[in-house]
Amino acid sequence: MRNSKGRIIAAGAALLAAGLALSACSGGSSDGSDANGVQTITFWHRTFTPPENAWYKDIVKQFNASQSKIKVVDTEVPADAWDQKMKAAQAAGKAPDIYTHSGPIQDAVNAGQLYNLDEVVDKSALQEILPIAQSVSEIGGKFYAYPLLVEAQTVLFWNKDMLTAAGLDPEQGPTTWDELMADCAKIKPTLKSGQYCISPAMDAATFAWSTVGQQYNFSGHTALTDDWTKPNIDNDGYRALMNEYKQLWDNGYMPKQALAAYVEGKDFGQKKVAFKVSGSWMMSEIGSDYKDLLTKTGVGAFPDAPNADGRTATTLGNFKWVIDAKSKHAKAAGQFLQWAIAGDPANVLPFFVNTQFTKIPVRQSVQDAVSKDEGAADAPWSDILINKIAPTAIPEPTYPWDVSLAVGTAMESVMKGAKSPDDAIKTADAAIAKVIQQNDLPSKAPKN
Amino acid sequence: MTVTHPTMTETEALVVPDARNARRRHRRYLYRDGKIAYWLLLPAVVLLGIFVIWPALYAAYLSFHDWSFYKAPEFVGWRNYTNVLTDPLFWAAIGRGFVFVAMTVPPMLLLAFGFSSLVVAVARRFAGALKVSIYLPTIISTVITSIIFVVIYDYSGGLLNAFLGLFGIDPVAWLGDPKWALLAIAIPAIWLGMGLTSLIMVAAMIDIPTEYYEAAAMEGANWWQKTFFITIPQMKNIILYLLVTGFVAAIQQLDLPLVMTQGGPLDSTTLPNLFIFNHFTNDVNVGYSIAAALLLFVVLGTVSALIFRFVNSERLVD
Repeated sequence: MRNSKGRIIAAGAALLAAGLALSACSGGSSDGSDANGVQTITFWHRTFTPPENAWYKDIVKQFNASQSKIKVVDTEVPADAWDQKMKAAQAAGKAPDIYTHSGPIQDAVNAGQLYNLDEVVDKSALQEILPIAQSVSEIGGKFYAYPLLVEAQTVLFWNKDMLTAAGLDPEQGPTTWDELMADCAKIKPTLKSGQYCISPAMDAATFAWSTVGQQYNFSGHTALTDDWTKPNIDNDGYRALMNEYKQLWDNGYMPKQALAAYVEGKDFGQKKVAFKVSGSWMMSEIGSDYKDLLTKTGVGAFPDAPNADGRTATTLGNFKWVIDAKSKHAKAAGQFLQWAIAGDPANVLPFFVNTQFTKIPVRQSVQDAVSKDEGAADAPWSDILINKIAPTAIPEPTYPWDVSLAVGTAMESVMKGAKSPDDAIKTADAAIAKVIQQNDLPSKAPKN
Repeated sequence: MTVTHPTMTETEALVVPDARNARRRHRRYLYRDGKIAYWLLLPAVVLLGIFVIWPALYAAYLSFHDWSFYKAPEFVGWRNYTNVLTDPLFWAAIGRGFVFVAMTVPPMLLLAFGFSSLVVAVARRFAGALKVSIYLPTIISTVITSIIFVVIYDYSGGLLNAFLGLFGIDPVAWLGDPKWALLAIAIPAIWLGMGLTSLIMVAAMIDIPTEYYEAAAMEGANWWQKTFFITIPQMKNIILYLLVTGFVAAIQQLDLPLVMTQGGPLDSTTLPNLFIFNHFTNDVNVGYSIAAALLLFVVLGTVSALIFRFVNSERLVD
């Protein structure tokens, strides 16, 4: 029996040693360069519309060809896998050196996830960022992200042929919700089986981020009070917005299950819907995958509430490049970033041209180069998007995602008839109050 | 029959030393492979330690901290646990897990029982073909199954809605309607689990001595009576084992809701593991998801302990 006890102790010691050894050798990687002095950096970009994906691959190739000290290895990550892949990589300490980032950077900066760009990118390049994109790239005077573009997240597209078939003016889309309802009432009888009048957002998560502009349009504010102490959704504006979507659902103007994601144009491209609500980027997908529809697609601002008073109905989304705080090649990543999107406008010009002039550059030099491009004249929607819709758009909210998600859940509940507006708002209020309390939001509220 | 041994005490006094020696020799005989046994156990214990015990202890430690992978963990005491326990969405997910178990395990057991009764009743060759066909879903990955069923359930153009259209029924948003989504996910779960369940039941049925059935046939019992009074009682151990493993597997289902509905319309398919997974993916700090995972472990452990107590209270050992 003494023998077996000794065995047990030996096994335990071996176990402990193995455990310690394995934990010690996790996450440690070698120093920067390999034998030839070439630094390899990893770059993750999300899957966007086809022309954008092509531009990303190409810019990496060009950068690698233009110099021999830094090699960029890029990976295109599908949007629905992004969060999980990034989280797993961060947990393993293997986050990419540089990656695309959307939305506000507040949380990431507070968690220490982003590298301070002031140290690796030239000051002149950082100063060139237009005010429209400064709030999404700079916090407390320090830059943590370099923006590539801004774009409207909620825009109305329509199929001109289908509107003509219903006896409507194909050049002029509905400008108010009442007009939209009337148009759909006229369009519905002309639809074939499997076709629907409109394809808007229809699940909680999509409502959460894509309807913030509409919330502002209906009520004059977003989901929190200005001092972030209380939720601010228990009012007529929010109820009216929820009821409009419920009307679309009850009247059968929208499919009961999304035919395609909000961000993609597959259902519109396949002519399954007369109206499509998506971001302005959808036009570039039409241009690359559904060319025959390009001239038959109308673009306009999302319909207004009856009492909108000229307020916008869209938020201005953005995409930026950020460098991971734990990156061991921050300087090299900074050089790549600067060369690709903060340097010669000619490098980034194809990005804006090939996406059908639907995206707004955030540097004056790039804006000038884009407007001089000969293709700009053939893109009438560009004028609508850049000069009519974007200037009044509001920035994305900076309060936590859970607040938006609570509102989105309320909207989906009311739309699908699962809850009355009162119950839905009550549930959302409770959820938002919890977020406010757990994150101490009043102390983080913007002071202006 | 009682036998008296008037000389018991004398013979005991003489027998005892030999008995003790015999026991010692017997024990040494039993454990003569002790050294080899421990060496063979070592790899499994080491792997278990590295991948199960150490992470579990570290996770318990981290559950008391806020950690974002980029800054040092910050101690916050019980806050993560109170956040989880006061979160109505957490309890809703647990409740939904139990509902999902109720939707999948009993129907699966019933269907598997029916199927295995069929298998033991038909000819050998046909029974072989049946067993292979029922087992095929088990080797198809749950992700592939999810994708196939998403196509079947598709709102416009899916097989199911096309079939219902033949009878003039409007398309139903199987995965988009909160009323139907959980049931829509339960179907592939049952389909996937039936293979193993049926084969285990077939094995159990074959083990039942045929003398019972012959005796019952002589008494004039029909199929129902044979099933209720012979087959099911003899299979009690197996049925309870399948119940426990089915419960544990069903409540921890992650692949199906993740691929088919991502938590579903209005959280109607957010099962406990998916709830934790979503929190891990979306939260900046991982303390909440770890606390939720450990609390789920407590819930499952409690239910399993209750089931085992129920099992032990029945005299099942033959």
